[in-house]
This record gives sequence, structure tokens and C-alpha cells, in this order.
Amino acid sequence: MKTCTTIALAAALAAPALAGETLAIRVGRAQTVSHGVVEHAVILVEDGRIAIVGEDLPVERGIPVLDRPEWTVVPGFVNCYSRLGCDSEGGDDNSPDVKAIDELWPKSPAYKEVVKHGVTTLALYPAGNGVSGQSVAIRPLGGTVEEMVLKDGQYVKIVVRSDSPSKRRIADAFKKVEEYDDKVAKAREKFDKDKKGGSKKDEKADEKKSFDPAAQEGKSDDKKDEKKDDGFVPPQPDEKLRPWLEMRVGAKRGLVALSQASDWLHFQDALGKNEMAYDLRLVLQRESDLYYVFDKKTHELDVDGIGDKQLRCVVEPVLTVTAGTLRTRNLPHELHRSGGKVVFIPRNDSLGDHQAWRSNVGELVAAGMPADVALRAMTLEAAEVAGVADLVGSIEKGKHANLVFLTGAPFEASTKIAAVMLDGEFVHGEVNQ
Amino acid sequence: MKYFLRASALLLVAASTHVATSAPARAQDPAPAGAKKEDGKKDDAKVEDKWVAVVGGDIHTGTGEVLKGATILGKNGRIHAIGYDLDVPKDAKVHDVAGMRVYPGLVAISSQGLLGNAMAEFDDTIDPFSSRMVLGLAAGITTTGVGGSAVKLKRFSVDGAVVNERAYTVMSWSGRNPRTKSELREKFVEAARYIREQREWERKSKEQKDLPEPKKTGIDGGVLSVLRGETQAKFNASDRDDLLGIARLAQEFGFRPIIDGCQEGWTVADELGRAGARVVLTARDRRSKDEQQSASGGTSIENAAILHRSGCMVAVTPPTEGIDLGGLEGRDIRMLTIEAGFAVRGGLPEKAALESITIVPARMMGISHRVGSLEVGKDFDLLVTDGDLLHYSTYVQWAFVDGRMVYDKEKELYYAHIRPRPAAEKKLDAGETAESKPADESKPQGEEKDGEKKDDDAKKEGDEKKEGEKGGDGEKKEEKKDGEQQG
Repeated sequence: MKTCTTIALAAALAAPALAGETLAIRVGRAQTVSHGVVEHAVILVEDGRIAIVGEDLPVERGIPVLDRPEWTVVPGFVNCYSRLGCDSEGGDDNSPDVKAIDELWPKSPAYKEVVKHGVTTLALYPAGNGVSGQSVAIRPLGGTVEEMVLKDGQYVKIVVRSDSPSKRRIADAFKKVEEYDDKVAKAREKFDKDKKGGSKKDEKADEKKSFDPAAQEGKSDDKKDEKKDDGFVPPQPDEKLRPWLEMRVGAKRGLVALSQASDWLHFQDALGKNEMAYDLRLVLQRESDLYYVFDKKTHELDVDGIGDKQLRCVVEPVLTVTAGTLRTRNLPHELHRSGGKVVFIPRNDSLGDHQAWRSNVGELVAAGMPADVALRAMTLEAAEVAGVADLVGSIEKGKHANLVFLTGAPFEASTKIAAVMLDGEFVHGEVNQ
Repeated sequence: MKYFLRASALLLVAASTHVATSAPARAQDPAPAGAKKEDGKKDDAKVEDKWVAVVGGDIHTGTGEVLKGATILGKNGRIHAIGYDLDVPKDAKVHDVAGMRVYPGLVAISSQGLLGNAMAEFDDTIDPFSSRMVLGLAAGITTTGVGGSAVKLKRFSVDGAVVNERAYTVMSWSGRNPRTKSELREKFVEAARYIREQREWERKSKEQKDLPEPKKTGIDGGVLSVLRGETQAKFNASDRDDLLGIARLAQEFGFRPIIDGCQEGWTVADELGRAGARVVLTARDRRSKDEQQSASGGTSIENAAILHRSGCMVAVTPPTEGIDLGGLEGRDIRMLTIEAGFAVRGGLPEKAALESITIVPARMMGISHRVGSLEVGKDFDLLVTDGDLLHYSTYVQWAFVDGRMVYDKEKELYYAHIRPRPAAEKKLDAGETAESKPADESKPQGEEKDGEKKDDDAKKEGDEKKEGEKGGDGEKKEEKKDGEQQG
């Protein structure tokens, strides 16, 4: 493995006329998240991206080297659930077509601050207590919206409480989806008839979900080709319906916010047999009872628990107590053990809590949560929720060079942030090469 | 190949029909290949039957009978059989409660907050993890009236908790606001007239096809459904004059009112009894007589007893409807049994006192076909207690709702520390955890090894001894009282 990478690096370096800046960073240890821990790591950053990572790689003469054997490097932190720099207010209706990008204000001073604390990616969501709209993933630096946006139109935030309106919102949305299906089926029938009986009835198309986002986005795949041959164009869904169709086939994900255990049962009840791709945002209050619905077996639930479904859950790093007592519980750890995937966000959306984020997670690690799971929850898993796991979240070839340099193990109390790199540039910390 | 398939399908059909007829006894023949092997009893197409058995307790059915050391068997949330030497299926969850008493789950006619913050549309709002629900179950309440609906305290599920969505209609009849009286009476007159006309029309329209149907405009829907027997009329009244007025209204229009409060009911008990009134009262209420009134008045501790003697159905409810963990202890909804005890103090027979917190409120809410007593076919909602239900020192040890154990005193926070069950302590050997215990319990009755049996017996003896030590005089007196009542 080691020799392989060495050769690869040599090949990469042999390429003539490297465009842009190139920098090799040699650190004591790199926690890549995606590929484990690399001791004595060398990371080659090229053009703002990570070109290669490996143990003790030789660096070609002429490439500047930053030698910091006392440092540990981790991926830049991803806060996938934030409203930093946004200030609109939302209602509680079904408005999945609203986009957070529309309220992005690049001049907000908050972004520059959070970078100092290692946060190199943010996902902003639209405000509201119903189905409030689609998030946008951004890099927190840049003068214009275009410079900041990584990906727009990501998760759809949906708040579910134990009440009739929120259950009705979901049931109604899926009723509309069904109506749309019928409409498509009718159009299809008509189309087939018009095409005269010569062509055989395409059963596959009937079975297939009527809305194919791949076709919308223009990605090429087999299904689309099949459709093209056919010439059938399904009727266009309206803007409020489209995100629901996309969630049903997994082209978009919902982020369903729950605040107590009964919300999960009511959400499952409202969903019924309908399917959609979603992650969860679990609001951990001090006396949270969410542990009741982590797994089905413990309390003989009628439905699968959150852990049984191996869902990704966005939680704040807090220790809670069993209701009515002072017995502390480490719910994120319990969630992890039951099979759920933990994603951490700062306790609050304030600058102070961004600063304290790493040490707050550290408290849970001290209380028993595995450190690698905790680090993953702040980086790669969070990038999955934000929809940008292909770009950021781990130290991996091809990803953005978003790196946080630490003076020790990430969750030790004494560890400080020495420097932060965003897209290949040091944006925080004194670095004298 | 095809033939083979068909043959095996036939076999399957044959097996399942056999199964259907032989339940609950186990089918004798082995399941054919392809069918589930673990158990011959269940039908392939159907969901597995869920059996539960509470074994060895003294079963107070709530209908007057006491079956000592009997078994109650539940199937899919309903009571399947009660009695001795029952054939308990192998896969039943067996709970040995020897030495304890079994009662029907209590019915609170009205409460607040036991279902979380829900106030209406309970199917969408119930919080089955609420700590108040646990407290309610610890107090023995398994069904409650809330906001006009009857809802069960069903934990861990949001499915099927509502038993009756519209249990009663609230009506107003008050001497403090005399207009309400004449207005209400007018509504009854109108509704009764409408019903008469409607009947007349139904009879005549068979011959005269084009006879117009009587108009429903201006008829009060609530009153109409009360007269039709679809829902119950509930009044809030305590003054003697109001009670008399309601009794007369009820007799005139032929319905049986529910009267909440009814503090001076004992002074007009005969009239209320003749009107078939159902009464919800707080036995310990205290209120002085209106001195300008020459007839007797004010409250009486004998209120419940007198009303019961005169033929009224009596339900009792504590002074406040919510759960109140601060302030004066003993007045909130958790004190249903204590309130029934106050009624006994006033002379209400113990049987009637038990009924006043079980079957009577269930009848008032129109749900007595499902809850309120232990009878075959009703819901498996029951309590296992360590003593007489109405005694203040008695604790609910287990509570079951729809055949499922929803409360275990030892496992919940609130009362686990008070007089822990000795059996639970003994059962845990070194190295054993609390989790391994239920598996032990669920062992079928018949399969007990000799060694284990001895062990159990020894334990029982131990328990009895302990109870003897602890109970002392009070315990004996209580038993005596019980005996008298049964006699």
C-alpha cells in the first residue's frame, strides 16, 4: 500500500507544468476519517484540492514543504444545520420550494469567525416550523454568493411534532404525489394509444416511479435512454410537489426534525407505507425521552426504531438526564450503539458555541463515546447530511483541501487549533514555512 | 414440478384449516414443509397470536366474584379465559403473581395531562412516552375520559388508544343562570317534537311517497343525539334545586343524565334514583349548607352511599383532575382508590366502591363492553396489586393494557424504592442481570422442573412470612373486612 502511493505520488509529480499552487504538508498524524489514521502523513495539496495522502511519502524537490511533526490534522468541520448569517422568519406551511440560498448574505461577519474554529463547511436551512424548504451547502468565505455556494437545493427541512397539522402536512403531500402518479399514468395511457397499438405495452414504465429526476437533471443513464426512445414526456409537477417526488426516489433527502419520542411514532404513522429518503434532526432537550425509540426490541414498539433503520441523526453534543432524575445519559452514544449514525452540530447557532463545539463533543467522548465516531460525526457524516460528502468531510484524494491542524488529539481538553486550511489556503493560524 | 407445488399448497391449506378449529389447543400434526416450523398453532397467512397469562393471583373480576389463585389468559389483547387449570399455550408470556391480587384496570371519568399535552384529536397527539402516563398507570388508571373522549393509557404505541371519541355531550343547567334552564328545556321540546314527526313521517311515507320530510333546522344536534341514545348528556350541578330540575327534565324526556359534582345529591336521592341519574362525585367534598334554605343541604360523607342505595350509578373522582406533584398530597387524579375509600367510609359497600372507579365510569362513557371488569371477550386491561386495592398502603405492581405489560413498579422510577418485591431480589443470582429475568418468567407453566418448583415454593413461604411481619394487625383487619363483603 505504502509503495503504491509512493509511486502514484511520483507519477503525479512527474507531470510537467503544475497549474496553480502546490504544497506538501508533513504532519505527525492525519485522521482521514475515510481511510483511518495515517502516521507521519504527507498531504499534497494542489489547486485547492487534496492530490494525495500517504505515510512518509517522498516529496519532489522544488515543492514547498510545511513540516509540522507535532501537529495532528483532521478534516475541516462541517456544520450541516445552521442559520448563521440568515435572518428571515418562516411560517409553518408546506413550502418545500423555498430555498435558503435566497437569503444568503456573503458579507455577514459570522462566517469569518467560525472558520477560526475549524468550521470549513456550513449547510444553511430555511426557517420555519412546517416544511420550510431546501438547504444550501456553502464554504464560509468568499465575497459573492457564487464563490460561497458548494451545492444548492439539498435537504428539505421538515418539522414533525405530535400534532394533527404536522401529520396532515405529510399525509397531504403524499396524497398529492399519488394524484400526480395517476395523472402520469393517464398521460401515459393516452400516449400509448396515440402511438397506436403497434408498440407493445411497456409494463416497466408503469411500474417505475413516474418521476425520474435523473432525466430532469440531464444525467445520462439507461432509464433515460429508454424514455427517450419512447418519446413520452410526463406532465411537469408543480414546484411544491417536485421536492416530494425527489425525496420519494431518493434524489433529495428530507431532514425531519423531531423533539420527543412520540414524534417518531406519529411521523411513522403519518408516513404509513409511503417511502422517502430522509435523515433526522433530533432535538436533545435536557430530559429527552428519545431513547425510547432507538430500537424496537427494548420497548416492543410497533414500528422499527431509529437505530434499527440506521438513520443519520443530527444532534447537539449534550449529556441529557433520564426524565425526573439527575442520572446522566449519553444519548448520542446510545444512538450509535443502537445502529444510528450520529451527526454533531454546535449546541446553538451562536459563535461561542461554534468555538466550544469541539470541546463539547469532547465531553461526550470523555463520557464513553468512541473518538473516531465523534470525529466522523463532525465531518464526513455531517457532509452526507449536507449533500456534499463527495466534496468535503474527509482527507481523501480529490476532495477540497479543508484541513484543521491541531496541537494534539482532537478531543483532548488541552488541544488547540494551530491552523485552518480552506480550499488549499491557510485562513487561520500563523504558519511560517 | 408443478404438480409437486400444487400438492404442497393443498397440504398447507389443509393444515391451516385444521389449525383454525383447534385453537387454542395446539395442533397435533407437524407443520408441512414450507410452513413455519416453530409452532403448529399459527396460521401462515395470519399474524402470530400473542398470548399472555397472569397466573396464580386472587382475581377480583369487578363483577362481584373473587377467584382465588386463578389464571387469566389473554389473546391478542383481549381476555380469552379466566379460571383454573387453563390450557396455557406454550408461547404465552406467563407472569406468576401468586399471593397478589388482580383487579380490572381503573377508569378515570375525567383527567388532564395523562396523555402528554394532548387535549383533542388523540390519535394524532397522544404521547405514549409521557412520564405522567406512567404515573397514571402507577395509580392504576388504564382508561381515562378526557375532553369528551375515552382514551386508553397505551404506552409505546400511538395506535388504537381512543376507545370512544365522543363519550358525552356537556349541557348546562344552573340556578345561577336561570336562562340556561329554559333554553335547554326548549331544545329538548323541539328535539322531541322533531323525533315524533320524523317517526310519523317514516310510517306514513311508505304509503304517501311524496310526503315532505320534517325539517331539521333549528334542532340542537347534541340534544337530538342524547334523545336518540347515541351519546350521553353530562351536567355539572351540585345545588339541590338544580339536581331536582335535571331529574325532572330527564324523566320528562326519558334520558339518563350524568351529573358531575352532585354535592347535595343525598338530599334528593330518591328523585335522582327515579330519574336513573348517573352521578360523578367526590366523596370527601365539603361544603356548608345554604342557611336560607329550609330543606337539608350541604355535603355529606354518606353522599355516595345514599345515592347508591336509591339506585343511582355512582362514580367517584378525586378533587382535582390533573397530576399534581407539589402542594397538598392526596388530592390529584392518582388518588382514585383513596376517593373510593372515602366513599366506603361513608357507607358505600366495597363492591360498589370498586365499581365506582371501574365499570360505572366505563358505562357512563359507553365503553363498558371493552373495559371496566374482567370478563371473557373484554380488553386485557388489568392491575396486579400487593393488597386490597382501596387500601392506602397498596401499590400497583404491574399494569397491563391490551395484553401488554405497560407498568412494572420495579422498573419505573417512581415507586421502585418503596417496599421492593422480595421475589425480584431473590430471583437474581450472582452474574444474572435484570434482563434475563423475563425469559425466566416466560417459561411455560407445565415445563417447570422439580428443582425450580421447590425453589418457588420456598420463596412463596418466604414472602408470606414477610407479609405477616409487615402487615401486622392492619393486614388482618383488612382481610376480615373483605370476607364480610364477600359473604
